[in-house]
Amino acid sequence: MNAPERSAAFLLDEDNGEEKVTYASDTKVSNAGTFTFNKEDHTLGNLVRMQLLRDPNVRFAGYKIPHPLVHQIDLKIQTISSTLAPIDVLLNAVEDLGDETDTLNREAEDAIERWKKENNAGGMGQF
Amino acid sequence: MSKQRDPKIEILSLYPHEIKFILSDTDTSIANTLRRLMIAEVPTLAIDLVEFHENTTVLNDEYIAHRLGLIPIKYMDLVTNRGIDCNGAFLSHTECSCEHRCPRCSVEFELDVNFDVMNVTRPENERDLPMSVTSTSLKSNNEYVVPGHFLNAEEQNEAHDTGISIVKIGPGQHLKLKAIARMGISKEHAKWCPVAVATYRFWPEININDELCSTLTHEQKQQLVDVCPDRILELDEVSGKLVVAENAWELATFTEDLKLLQETMKKRPEDDDFVTVEHSQDRFIFCVEGTGAMDAEDILMSSIKVLSDRMLYLRSKLDILKENM
Repeated sequence: MNAPERSAAFLLDEDNGEEKVTYASDTKVSNAGTFTFNKEDHTLGNLVRMQLLRDPNVRFAGYKIPHPLVHQIDLKIQTISSTLAPIDVLLNAVEDLGDETDTLNREAEDAIERWKKENNAGGMGQF
Repeated sequence: MSKQRDPKIEILSLYPHEIKFILSDTDTSIANTLRRLMIAEVPTLAIDLVEFHENTTVLNDEYIAHRLGLIPIKYMDLVTNRGIDCNGAFLSHTECSCEHRCPRCSVEFELDVNFDVMNVTRPENERDLPMSVTSTSLKSNNEYVVPGHFLNAEEQNEAHDTGISIVKIGPGQHLKLKAIARMGISKEHAKWCPVAVATYRFWPEININDELCSTLTHEQKQQLVDVCPDRILELDEVSGKLVVAENAWELATFTEDLKLLQETMKKRPEDDDFVTVEHSQDRFIFCVEGTGAMDAEDILMSSIKVLSDRMLYLRSKLDILKENM
């Protein structure tokens, strides 16, 4: 009776003006802000957070899921100086992840081709 | 600007229903994200709507509809006969511009099995027995899309049925229905899950401190070898030294036995261990088993594509956010 649609876990409710990402600057801490991603979960949150932590310009990066029944991530980022805003480091992180994914794509294709060449002329493997 | 990582993939074995590979030079977050994507967000086809015209079987409508939904549906490459990624070929029904449904976003299957009609085609000695309605009775309106009847040829040889059993019917019973398959992801319902299993293990980093090991007696070294239930250590016959087994990476299960035994062997508690076995932080052994809907290598490529598309989408949304700041 009260169960939400399963598709509400991953489809944005654009009719009600739900945005994918919103930003709220932190009032008490300098150079910090929280990004809220709607209809996302650990799949994205952990990935982006770990990438942010590798950036020397980031002083703090953490994500949480405020409530397990509401599909939303809060990603809090603090940079080391005011020259670089949280949005900039986040864009850099996402771009780096995009590049890494492209590398992964090439690697996977090459690895599969190599395997097929070495094992049987491009046909299906046996069990 | 953070350093770029350079992930590597090495395939250990590749079958239509299973792929095992090593992912290295990358972080656990990538490995976990890939795993989560393979389980939850790779789009596949599955029966979503069923219109019943005739059902006089022993199972009720929704029971049969549920069973139909769980049948793996293959989008085939007619040249190689492999189940491939359906992501480019179909639109999800929420995105499709058609009003109700169209061949672009859905596939129709028809099933019409009447016991009395089909029974005459069966051999004499079987005519009293119930008839199995299997997935082979589902006739598709799209030549590229067929139900995945078996996982592989081995399973087909061993099976008693001609395909996945839907319901068994007896004399006077008739099942006639139209089933519509749509594209979806596992987050919406498990029937859209392309994998049976998608897991990864950590590569074991086994370090043998040769200096300290030389202080051990032969019996103690043999004890260390024997205490491991996964047999990752061996005693070299010639030199009498402890060495790591050839295929230790395959066998390692990271049990505590070795550690506990070394506690008793050490002269002082704060001494270093003779042998340490740790999780590698950047090398993972993946094993992905499919359900028969997609070939295992296509599941991997599809999950990477989903990740790539997600990053691009995020990038564009963040660019818009930055402009509006």
